[in-house]
Amino acid sequence: MDGTVHLARLQFALTAGSHFLFVALTLGLVTLVALLQTRATLTHSELHARMVRFWGGLYVINYVMGIITGLVMEFQFGTNWSGLLEVTSGVFGVPLALETIGAFFIESTFLGLWIFGWGRFSPRVHLAMIWVVALTAYASAFFIMVTNGWMQRPVGHVMENGQARLADLGALLTNPTGLLAFGHVLFAALLTAGLFMAAVSAYHLRRNTAENEFFRRGLRTGMLTVLLSLMPAASFGGVQFDYLQDTKRAPLVSPLAQAGEVLMLLSWQLITFLSLWFLVKFCYRPRRFGRVFLLTTMAALPLPYLAMISGWVYREVGRQPWAVYGLLRTEDAVSPLSANEAWLSFGVFVPLFAVLVTVNFWLLFRHARRGPQSADAPHAEPAPLPVPTF
Amino acid sequence: METLALLLLAFFTFGTLVLAGGDLGVGMLLPWLGRTPTERRTVLAAIGPFFLANEVWLVALAGIMIGAFPGLEHELLLERRTAFVALLAAWIVRDAGLWWRSRIEARPWAAACDGMIVAGSWGAALALGAVLGPVLGGGLGGVLLAPLFALLLALHGAGFCRLRLTGEPLDRAAPLGRYTVTTLALGAVTVAAGLRLDLHEMLAEPATLRVVTVFVAVMLPLLVGGQLLTRWAFRRRVTGPGYL
Repeated sequence: MDGTVHLARLQFALTAGSHFLFVALTLGLVTLVALLQTRATLTHSELHARMVRFWGGLYVINYVMGIITGLVMEFQFGTNWSGLLEVTSGVFGVPLALETIGAFFIESTFLGLWIFGWGRFSPRVHLAMIWVVALTAYASAFFIMVTNGWMQRPVGHVMENGQARLADLGALLTNPTGLLAFGHVLFAALLTAGLFMAAVSAYHLRRNTAENEFFRRGLRTGMLTVLLSLMPAASFGGVQFDYLQDTKRAPLVSPLAQAGEVLMLLSWQLITFLSLWFLVKFCYRPRRFGRVFLLTTMAALPLPYLAMISGWVYREVGRQPWAVYGLLRTEDAVSPLSANEAWLSFGVFVPLFAVLVTVNFWLLFRHARRGPQSADAPHAEPAPLPVPTF
Repeated sequence: METLALLLLAFFTFGTLVLAGGDLGVGMLLPWLGRTPTERRTVLAAIGPFFLANEVWLVALAGIMIGAFPGLEHELLLERRTAFVALLAAWIVRDAGLWWRSRIEARPWAAACDGMIVAGSWGAALALGAVLGPVLGGGLGGVLLAPLFALLLALHGAGFCRLRLTGEPLDRAAPLGRYTVTTLALGAVTVAAGLRLDLHEMLAEPATLRVVTVFVAVMLPLLVGGQLLTRWAFRRRVTGPGYL
C-alpha cells in the first residue's frame, strides 16, 4: 500500500506540474494577445495584427498541452484518488464542477471560434471572442485555486458520518487561501508570458533580421508586463504567509518544500534584477539593446518556470502528509489499488506525457524561432506534396 | 432537483457521444475517406472548427459526475479503471496527432500524425465501448458490445462526413453514414445505460446537488448558445484543407 501511495503521488505531481506550467503561459499569453488584438482593432495597425497572429499561434500550440494534461488530471481524481472523492466530493467536487461548466466549456468553445473564425467575423466580434476566452480562462483559474485553497485550508463544510458536506458556499468561494493564490498565480502567469515574449523577441533581435521593429515591440511589451507583474505577484504571495500551515514552517517543513521556497524567491530576485536592467536601458536608449542584455534575457526564460514550479512544490509538498489539511491524510485519499494497477496507470501516462510534453515544447520553440512570416498566412493552402514514386 | 440532475447528466452524456463520438468516428475512418495526405487533411477540416467545441462535452461530463454523481464516477472510473486508462491514453494521442499534423510540412510527419489520429480514435472508441458495454449488458454480452459500439461511432463519423464533405471523400462516406439514424442510436445507448444504472444511489448529497444542478441549468443557455454559434459559423461544406 505504501508504494502505491508514492506512485500515485508522483504520477499526480507530474501530471499537475506539467499542466500547471503550460497553463501558466496560456493564462498570461491570452491576456497579452487580447490586449494586442484590442490595439490592432482600434487603431487598424497592421503591425499589431501581425503580432496577434504570431503570438496567438504560439498561444494555441501551448494551449493544446493544457487540455491534454488537464483532461487526464480531471479523471485521475476518480481513478487514483477515490478516497479523496469518497470523503470530500461534496465540497471538493463543487468548484471542479463549476469550473468545467462555467469556465472551461465556454473558454474552449470560443477559442475554437477565435482560431477558425479569422476573416469569418467582423474584427470587433472576433476581438470579443478572444476576450471571452481570456475572461473564462481567469474564471477557470479562480475555481481551480478555490479547489486547491480548500485543500490547504478547508472551510465552509461540516463533517457528517466521516464525509465532508457543503455548509457554506460563500465561505468556500471566498476562502483567502484560494483568492490570494488566484491573484498570485494570475500575476505569476503574466510574468511568465511577459518574459516568454521578451526572450523570444531577444532571440530575433540578436539575429538582426528584417523584423527588428516587430520584436522591439515584443521585447518592450514583454518586459513592461514583467515589470508590472513583479510586485503584485510578490504581494499576493507574501500575504498568504498569514495563512501558512504548520507543515510549511520549521520544524515540520520538509527539505523539498523548503528548497522550493528558496528557489522561488531566488528566481523572483533574478527576474527583478533583469527587469530593472531593462528599465534603465529603456530610459536612456529605448531603441538599442546590446548583445549582453539580449543574451541574458534569452537565458532568463527558464526563470519564471522555475519560480512557478518551485512555488508549487513549496505549496503542495508543504501540505503533506495531508491531502486536505487537518481533514484527510494523503495515504487515506488514494484509491485501493494493487501494485499492478498503480504501475499500469503510471507506466502508461508518465512516458506518454514525457513524449508529448517534449514534442510540444519543441514545436513551440520551432514556431517561435521561425518568426512572424510563417504565421502571416495561417490558413494558406499547404504546398502541394510531391507525388510518391514507387 | 434529482430529476433535473438526471436530465442534465443524460443531456451531457448524449452530447459527448454524438459530438465527441462523431469526431472519433471520423478519425477511425480517416485512411478510407482520404487516400492522399491532402485528402486526409480535407477530411480533418470537416471536424476542425468543431473539434474544441465537441471535446468540452467530455470534460463537462466529468465535472457533472464529480459534482452531482460521485457514485457514478466511482462506479465507472474505479471499477473499470483499465478501460478508462486506455480511453484517456488513446484520446490524448488522437488529440496530439490532430493538433500537430499541420505544424510541420513533411510527409513522414503527416503520416505519423495520421497514425496517431487513427490509432487514437479506434482505441478511444473501443475503450469507450468497454466502459459502456458492461453497463448495457452483463457478462459476455458486455464484452461483445465494445466493438459494436466502436462500429456505431465509425458509422456516425461517416454520417457526419456525409453532411460536411465534398468530392471523392464525400462519395466514400455517403454510402456508410446516416447521421440521424446513428444519432438516434446513440440516444438509445444513453437512455439504456441510464436505465440500467442505479443513478439515484449515486447522487451527491442535497446541498451539493442543489448548487451544481442549479448552476449547470442557469449556464445551459449560454453553453448551448456558444455551441450553436459554432455550428452556424462553420455551416458550409468543406472543399479543401483547413487549419488542422
